[in-house]
Amino acid sequence: MTDKNSSQNLASIAEVEDAKLAGSDAAPLSQGKLVFKRFMRHKPAMISSVILIVVILVAITSIGIGGIPGWWPIDYKKTSISVDGGAPSAEHWFGQDDLGRDYFGLVMSGTQASLIIAFLVGITGTVLGTLLGALAGYFRGWVDAVIMRIADIFFVVPLLLIAAIIAKGASGFINSPWFLGIMLGVVSWAGLARLVRAQVLSLREREYVDAARAMGASSWRIILKHLIPNAIGTVLVNATLAIAAAVLLETALSFLGFGVRPPNSSLGLLISDYQNSFTTRPWLFWWPGLMILIVALSVNFIGDGLRDAFDPRQGGRIKRRNLIAAGLMGPSAVDVPSAADRAAAGAADPVERTGSASLLEAVEVQDAVEESKQQPDGDSSPPGGRHASGADPDTDPESGPDNEGQRS
Amino acid sequence: MSTLEKSNVTKGDVVLEFQDLRVDFVSDDGAKQAVKGLNLTVRAGEVVALVGESGSGKSVTSLSAMGLLPPNAMTRGKVNVTGHQVVGMREDKLRALRATEIAMVFQEPMTALNPVLTVERQMTESLESHNLAYGEEATARAVALLERVGIPDAAKRIKQYPHQFSGGQRQRIVIAMALTCGPKVIIADEPTTALDVTVQAEVLDLLRELKDDLGVGILLITHNMGVVADMADRVSVMFLGELVEQGTVEQILYRPQHPYTQRLLASVPRLTDVALTHEDQVGARAAEAQAAVGEAADLVLTVKDVAIDYKVRSGVFRAAEGVSFDVYKRGTTALVGESGSGKSTVAKAVLGLIPTASGRLEISGQNLPSLKGKAARTARRQIGVVFQDPAASLDPRFPIGDCVMEPMVVHKVGSKADRIKRAKELLDAVKLPSDVINRYPHELSGGQKQRVGIARALSLDPTLLVADEPTSALDVSVQAVVLEMLKELQAEFGFACLFVSHDLAVVDHLADQVVVMRRGQVVEQGATERILHFPQEEYTKELLAAAPVPDPDAQRIRREARHQLRL
Amino acid sequence: MLQFILRRLGVSVLVLLLASVMVYFLTTISGDPLAGLREQANDPKIATQMNARIQNLDLNTPWFIRYLKWLGGAAACVYGQCNLGVDITGNQVLDSLGAAASSTLRLVLISVIAAAIIGIFVGVVTAIRQYSDMDYLVTFVAFVLFSLPSFWAAVLLKEYAGINYNNWIANPQFTVPQIVVSALVIGVLAQLCMGGGLKRRLLTFVIAAAAVGIALPYFTWLRFWQFPQMGPAVVAIVCLAVAVFATHVTVGIKTKQVLYPSLAMAALVLVVYYAGWGMLSEPNWWILAAGLVLAFAVPWIVGHFVGGRYKTQAIGAGIAVTVVGGFLTIVDHLFVTWPSFVAMKPRPISTIGSNTPNFNGTFWQTFLDNGTQLLLPTVLLTVISVASYSRYTRAAMIDVQSQDYIRTARSKGLPERTVVLRHAFRNAMIPIVTIVAMDFAALIGGAVITEQVFGWKGMGALFQTGLKNVDPNPIMAFVLVTGGIAVLFNLLADVIYALVDPRIRV
Repeated sequence: MTDKNSSQNLASIAEVEDAKLAGSDAAPLSQGKLVFKRFMRHKPAMISSVILIVVILVAITSIGIGGIPGWWPIDYKKTSISVDGGAPSAEHWFGQDDLGRDYFGLVMSGTQASLIIAFLVGITGTVLGTLLGALAGYFRGWVDAVIMRIADIFFVVPLLLIAAIIAKGASGFINSPWFLGIMLGVVSWAGLARLVRAQVLSLREREYVDAARAMGASSWRIILKHLIPNAIGTVLVNATLAIAAAVLLETALSFLGFGVRPPNSSLGLLISDYQNSFTTRPWLFWWPGLMILIVALSVNFIGDGLRDAFDPRQGGRIKRRNLIAAGLMGPSAVDVPSAADRAAAGAADPVERTGSASLLEAVEVQDAVEESKQQPDGDSSPPGGRHASGADPDTDPESGPDNEGQRS
Repeated sequence: MSTLEKSNVTKGDVVLEFQDLRVDFVSDDGAKQAVKGLNLTVRAGEVVALVGESGSGKSVTSLSAMGLLPPNAMTRGKVNVTGHQVVGMREDKLRALRATEIAMVFQEPMTALNPVLTVERQMTESLESHNLAYGEEATARAVALLERVGIPDAAKRIKQYPHQFSGGQRQRIVIAMALTCGPKVIIADEPTTALDVTVQAEVLDLLRELKDDLGVGILLITHNMGVVADMADRVSVMFLGELVEQGTVEQILYRPQHPYTQRLLASVPRLTDVALTHEDQVGARAAEAQAAVGEAADLVLTVKDVAIDYKVRSGVFRAAEGVSFDVYKRGTTALVGESGSGKSTVAKAVLGLIPTASGRLEISGQNLPSLKGKAARTARRQIGVVFQDPAASLDPRFPIGDCVMEPMVVHKVGSKADRIKRAKELLDAVKLPSDVINRYPHELSGGQKQRVGIARALSLDPTLLVADEPTSALDVSVQAVVLEMLKELQAEFGFACLFVSHDLAVVDHLADQVVVMRRGQVVEQGATERILHFPQEEYTKELLAAAPVPDPDAQRIRREARHQLRL
Repeated sequence: MLQFILRRLGVSVLVLLLASVMVYFLTTISGDPLAGLREQANDPKIATQMNARIQNLDLNTPWFIRYLKWLGGAAACVYGQCNLGVDITGNQVLDSLGAAASSTLRLVLISVIAAAIIGIFVGVVTAIRQYSDMDYLVTFVAFVLFSLPSFWAAVLLKEYAGINYNNWIANPQFTVPQIVVSALVIGVLAQLCMGGGLKRRLLTFVIAAAAVGIALPYFTWLRFWQFPQMGPAVVAIVCLAVAVFATHVTVGIKTKQVLYPSLAMAALVLVVYYAGWGMLSEPNWWILAAGLVLAFAVPWIVGHFVGGRYKTQAIGAGIAVTVVGGFLTIVDHLFVTWPSFVAMKPRPISTIGSNTPNFNGTFWQTFLDNGTQLLLPTVLLTVISVASYSRYTRAAMIDVQSQDYIRTARSKGLPERTVVLRHAFRNAMIPIVTIVAMDFAALIGGAVITEQVFGWKGMGALFQTGLKNVDPNPIMAFVLVTGGIAVLFNLLADVIYALVDPRIRV
């Protein structure tokens, strides 16, 4: 809103709005761009992205991949004499193991395998979960019942158990991290399916979906063009969280002896192999664990940044610095809210809640708030994926009776 | 029996005063001014209406008096509540003022009450925390108040939870809650916007009685000029954060000075010359005779004896039954009724969004429910649709151009270049700049989005346009623009229109046939002139009498007529 | 309501059935149970072994017949005739299941309860003080805990909290750098949690750091680590503090109807502390249970009669005092027992196994033994769950705080504690109940890893050896127990729902 528009000769909201639209020469801003802008402002997520990219690049380039040699000069498969008890040195950055193998190379090959598996699990699980969730939410009825009852299996039996059985079978069948990743992805879709279903159930009541149905659009068009793109926030956020969870799942399975098998390597396998050398060569234990922590932590923070970017409701603290910059920090004239009253932030009108209550934008902001209100619970779930989802809409008492109340 | 306390202020005392109030909202993108220097006084025993459209700053003003603005709001100036300066006041002092000196009635009765606490708990807790009454005494006072606001069997029902009350009853409870500690001024923020007209009229009656009984001052925040005419003694008009005009209700509504107020009042659709008594039967017959009935050849849509069922947990709920009406070429048939009347349900059935249980829906001679697959899709091509909520009716991920072109894509009409050309034409027809084609819905205002929705509905040259409350989410002045546009487009494109609305004045302005619905059944139907000006059924009369008009004198007459109707 | 629960139960049983078919099938195809023996099949000894194994695993019948046989045996549990089949060595699975399930479930239950209490509390506090330094700190810690590989953390915990502590307790001393670093770290954390202006932060830092800096050498000098003691004075002071604090947060300190009964409870705790000392020196579980009942009953009765219109708050505050007091009394008894316990078991924190073999001590000594066995795995499981519960609670609270009815509550001039505790918290509980219930199955999954690191012979071991041997019956027992518990918890969640949310009470 610029001041020239509020001049006296415009005396109707409609005129002001049209003048604003005609006068706007800003480039069109898609939701994707908006989200990206907000994501760029999320510092922890940005730092994490850089760290993750560095880890991926180093893991790939150092020892090379698929036969292409990397820049790391030492062959980690070769045993040699341990220098200085195998402690980290300028030559062996991460030290050497009890057979004198270079530990940096070993950890990097483990990181490669763990990353490959994590991303495959994330991608497979996300594609399956999104599709199945969207089908269940859109068609409802028996399609929904069948898909969701199958998803329920993962809530009565720990995922770790099913994953362990699958992983054992898979690695006995084809011993490759790629195959293992896909097989684990096949059992990791239930949580996302639940979230996508919940969101689709709410999205399908939107008027643009009704409009598409009324104009005769096919179910596939509606699902692929309207429902899934609008659930992309939930999907992307949970895809990242699923990757973080997959890193932990794979390493845990390998640790238990059901995941990656020698001669392949993985971070979990390294920890399992070297957990008893903790007192003698602690670095053999520390490095792989730290790598897991770094990867999982940065992926989780990226997920958090994505969530804030897609759903700015819970983000955005108003900084004192901004108040001063805005020239509003008169020491006496302003009622600065007490810290204890911060909680009141959310209490006021939705328009203000977003912290950008402009005048003409008020309507749109309200729209946006209404939209964000519709996001299912799962969006605000914590990262890590130890919980695959939030409340089951079936059991959610808020949705059931209320819906009926509206109809009758 | 009433333990209601009269507040100890004398009529005419200033109970709420804003002096040069300025509120700014600060965000990472800088500061936005929401209120730019407001001066306003509310005295005991009077109703001051604060009128404005979205973005005018009226709600922000009301929250500033309660001290309930969020932390990123910077408030300057003075707000006096019964002599206490509220701006910059300490939180605990402010808390002591709330409910005892100043109370608030919120807009949404469905969400303003805590769903997991009993009404008793929610009513007595303010008495207890302000040390006014405890335990059984507090309950007794709460029961008395509930009775006063018209909740039957209050002593029993006070133990119930909010979801066990209807919307109108909930708003009564919210009002009773605001009264518990005998405040001297009440801020009512759009107290009836979420309610049906008949319920709105009752709640307004209640507020008026309470004002006279208790002598409190009321600051009524509203966008509805009819409500203003019905309730207010004095009126202040806000536009974009500024107070543009204030005066008595007669001054403002009869002789507005500021161009904004003039435009605003001109945009309010009016429904006048309504015969609410039985005397004018002659006129009715005259109107009946006058009404032009279309030729059978011009029939676009025939709805015959349609029934619609909803599945609910306890079985089947019949949402509509025995509904029959026709829509003629270039004509507009309006479905009117309150929430739960089934009017939108019928429209949805016409659109094929929900199945019918029985009856026929014929468009150009084809019965829609019996069509399958390709035939159904071809028949659907003839129907365009505009929905209520501009925020939800366009896919937020589609650029405007794609939104408008979607029907053409679905039905594989034309090449890409043709479609773009057509989209530009349509956007031009709804008076939007053609470069909007690349913009996204969130960059447009509600009215603009609704115009895009109309453009989309017209993209396949439909013979029938179904408009489901297309303007009820819009500001009055924007509504006027959209309605005018709809009329022009109908003249230009020649489609028939099925118009669903709860607003009788809008219907009067637009439709030539009216179908009044209630609880899934048709109450009365016929030519607009007859139904809306010479109604025969009690319910129609009640609806007509309940809708307030922006004219204080006419509104008083209506109100009395309504009271007689109810007797 | 009953109908609703029965319907949910029916669906759950169906899901359980589906799950069991799937797990059984996947297990049978996950490998070849005879792989190890096949290579030496010519050896007659091995051949007999192989035949025995084929016999035990019933390998000559197709998998679905075997599944149906298993299902029949498991279904018989309904009327107490359980037959969960035999494992690969021919032992009855049911025999090993009892001990395994009880030790695992004890671990998981304690963790879930502790984590729910701590997590919900932390979540509420961080939601109220959103965007404070403490919030950021807790958020960061929670993220680290999410990202922590639990087996790795378990090994670290075993190393530092177990082995290193046991080494240290033999001769407890702190070096000066250790004291300085602890003081600084705790000082920094304290000021982060308390917040406020620069002055207040500085003050908090100095006080906290000084307290730690003085306390550590002082306790060492007292030989507190070997001979811990608390005494009645500490019990009395803490109980008084709880009484005052509980009154303050519920209704405000000036409200005598709550303050007096809770102070009376504090006095009562002290009386019981002295009067019951002898009896509690050699107690049994019945005495402790009776004490627990009294800790709830007495404040309930007193609060009911004295509390007047603040009945509920008086009862709540009273119970807080008696529970804390009772807890402290028990802790004091444990403190008194500690030296003799360490004498019996010089490396007190166990890192292997779920109980010390051949340990014969007094009630409290055995209690300490079990406690120290449980300590590390429980801490690990709890800490990981706390992270997720606190995040969920925070999100739910923040979500609820933006609801219209919270604004209504504020507009009534209610004090902030009423708004938070009565209006926000009850609504925020609704989603959290589901999460805690649904988390249970996942937590048992986590327990498998923890048990492995700490060498417990629990369900994890049952499952692991079962899977390694491609032996379906132990795995099915695992599924039966976790599935049954998950179903039970979901039912419990439904009941709690009905209590919290009147809208589904119909």
